[in-house]
Amino acid sequence: MINDLANLGSIIEINPEERDLGRVALPNEEHEFVYAKAFLQKNSTVTGENLYDHLSEILNKILSERPENVVDFFEEYCRKIKEKRFRPLTDHLEDIYVAPGRYRLANKLLPFLRPLPPEAPSTVDPEDLERADMTKNNMLDLLAYFEIAGLGLPRLEMFCLTMSMRQLIRAEPITRVRFWGKIFGMHKNYLVLEADLKDEEYVKRNENYNAAADNKIDDLVTDHLEQMKREQELPAEDALPQLWATLPPTPRIQYEEPPEPPSEPSGVGVNKTVYYVCNEVGDPWVQLPDATPKQIRIARQIYKTFTGDLNQAIVSYPLFPGTERNYLRAQIARISAGTHISPLGFYIFAGEAFGEAEEFEEGAGGDNKGDISENPKYDPPSIKDLTDKSMMFWVHHNNHILNQGRTTWWNSNPLPEGIDEELGEEEEEKPVIAGPEPETGPALLTPCSEDVTLDAIPAWSVRSSSDIAEEYAVAIVKSNFWPGAYGFAAQGKTFHNVYFGSGLKVMVPNFSPNPLPPVEQDYPLGPEIMEILDPTGAEEETWRIAHLPKELPPKELRGEDELGGEEAEEEEEEEDEDD
Amino acid sequence: MDLDEVLDTIHLSEQWGHVITTEEGLILHNSLLILQNENHFRRIFFWGRIRGTDNDYYIAFGYRTDALLDRTFYYSTNCLNWGLLPLPTEYAKKLTPLCTAMFQGDPALVLDVLLEKDEISFGDPLPEPQVKKLKEEDRLSATVFFINEEAAVVPRGALYKRADGVIVHNLAFEGLTPVEARETICFLHYRVPKQKWNTNLLTRDDYNVAIDFLDSVDVDIPEGCWTVNMTASEEVVVLKTLYWPGMFFYHWVKTPKHGFLYFGTGVKCLDVPFFLNGLYPVVEDFFHPK
Repeated sequence: MINDLANLGSIIEINPEERDLGRVALPNEEHEFVYAKAFLQKNSTVTGENLYDHLSEILNKILSERPENVVDFFEEYCRKIKEKRFRPLTDHLEDIYVAPGRYRLANKLLPFLRPLPPEAPSTVDPEDLERADMTKNNMLDLLAYFEIAGLGLPRLEMFCLTMSMRQLIRAEPITRVRFWGKIFGMHKNYLVLEADLKDEEYVKRNENYNAAADNKIDDLVTDHLEQMKREQELPAEDALPQLWATLPPTPRIQYEEPPEPPSEPSGVGVNKTVYYVCNEVGDPWVQLPDATPKQIRIARQIYKTFTGDLNQAIVSYPLFPGTERNYLRAQIARISAGTHISPLGFYIFAGEAFGEAEEFEEGAGGDNKGDISENPKYDPPSIKDLTDKSMMFWVHHNNHILNQGRTTWWNSNPLPEGIDEELGEEEEEKPVIAGPEPETGPALLTPCSEDVTLDAIPAWSVRSSSDIAEEYAVAIVKSNFWPGAYGFAAQGKTFHNVYFGSGLKVMVPNFSPNPLPPVEQDYPLGPEIMEILDPTGAEEETWRIAHLPKELPPKELRGEDELGGEEAEEEEEEEDEDD
Repeated sequence: MDLDEVLDTIHLSEQWGHVITTEEGLILHNSLLILQNENHFRRIFFWGRIRGTDNDYYIAFGYRTDALLDRTFYYSTNCLNWGLLPLPTEYAKKLTPLCTAMFQGDPALVLDVLLEKDEISFGDPLPEPQVKKLKEEDRLSATVFFINEEAAVVPRGALYKRADGVIVHNLAFEGLTPVEARETICFLHYRVPKQKWNTNLLTRDDYNVAIDFLDSVDVDIPEGCWTVNMTASEEVVVLKTLYWPGMFFYHWVKTPKHGFLYFGTGVKCLDVPFFLNGLYPVVEDFFHPK
């Protein structure tokens, strides 16, 4: 028994005297306790930790937190505590203060949370400043409606957005500004504002526009002249080695790009409004460049998400002319054209307000040029009408973009006068593909009920925000083609269009890229470039026999001739087959 | 999304733009509590909303013992009356990816699904186009199944495999650190693991059998199909997958709060390869050599 005790690792220490006496003393409790504690406090030779501290720390944590079923997670607690204690040997950064994540944001937002500095005294009458009306842009008011419609951004963001819009209208020549929406990119997002500029600003921009268009034509002419010059020079350059005297001319590109419609001037059609974007509240607003018809056409043919960097190149086929900045502008134009809708009667054609409604309607129905303005006598349709599934009471108030990439059709055929005659001739030689028949889209203020359905998907889904409290319900319209595009109208004169999405249109069933154009022929097909099989040994032999010197008597010669003739024919036939 | 968070989603909307409206949230909160009580669920979650042209489907799920294997799904078209979502049938799983139209909102509706010539979902290539019938309820359950398989996510450490093999929510989970939250390897698929049990363990240094029993999302193909974004205040990390637009996973960094919501049309986006500029560096070198 004594031996057993000794073997146990002498948990209970026994006095040698007592052992000698052969009797076991009662265990000394205090002594045992001290001994066990000392054992638990023994530091690990590897980490310097000891079990006693560890256990007390765990028990301390568990007792203070008192989690449920803690025994199931005991190992997890154990690990957590150990992890916390762990300090890498190379960690010298411990004393450096790490700014909390919100620090950066706080710095960004603080300028908005201060009152605006008083404006410098100026002689201009405040009314002449034509500053944009901000009464409808209290984003917190708007947020209340957004929330009812199931949309929203954090309150902080909305509030600071209002403040930054206030700053923007002081800095830029804006007459109207509106929150357009938010586009979610892969790395960063875009907040988008829609703004109308002052008339002088548009005029200033369009001066440059005309100049640019003229330059284009000049460029075209000079390009053409240069090309002709090069063609004439070509043989002379090639004359170096005599060996290549018969070298065919360099193949020419047969494909001619169809004439590019000019982009619409600022303040008209697609470029009627300008857009300001920024990644986060607090970043400076960046104005997007105007969209060109080509950008809009190509944006329809590609399918790319936004990354959040305006200068990101768009890698696509067909090649998109421009960076993400232009792509964003083109998509915004498409979304605005497709999804900006208003309750029936909110907008009217400009003439109607003055009592010549009927005359004007006919005129405006024909072409899209009719200007619209807010109806001063607007009588909002009832919520029942607005949530009607036929969408009869919602109308488009933005111009449809034609396939050409413009809202108004541009005739490609008559070239501007005064260009080289050669250019004109080339045009005439080409068969007219497009024809002079102008494209037309639906007129302004067409009801949404006339929108096409795409593969059994209706264009719009309409909901009432509340089934319980109909008195306060808001009509919500969601676009099924542009997921994320919403329109809502409260019972009153408030309505708003907003976009919260990735900026991509629905593709049914899914996107398929344009096929590459057929490969062009380098040279017209002819005997020079045809590949012909080499004659076989046997064929060469028969040819040789057929063309032997005429030494044989005339009788046999005739036979040979016939033979040779047949073979020659055979050869020809073979060649034909090879073709 | 945990039931308690349903009422306050506006703080999460920065990277997403959507909220659960007050009315919707109140109805959900109460009707789901009743559902939880009737079924004796330990926890109940709001899963999301699938948009239909006429009506929306609301989906919820709860579990009694096992947070992964024991989940039961419910659906509703009005948030009030919840019906048990049937288990996805093999037939529906084959037909659902071929449906491209939107949901309509009527579970009893029978859809015609057109199988094109040479379609191989049902074994041999079809000699001629064929039309098959599919009930919308079955399509819904298959869609929810696919989204769970491919897009549902939990942060690493949030689920814990107990010694008896039961998977529970980890009481000791304290949230990912801001550094961890920026890496896709710290997010795991909330599904029965498909890879070999040790795949996830072998790919990390600080492996732990109890929490690394799921597949991590960083091996999904193609690279970049998951986007990790932090909100401006760096408090919430948001994960989105390009395959299922509308799927939104959030995690409040350094807290155990996490969850996911799906607000979408229920149609998978197959165009992901076109989105990514995978070959971009090559193309750039080609066009603009330095």
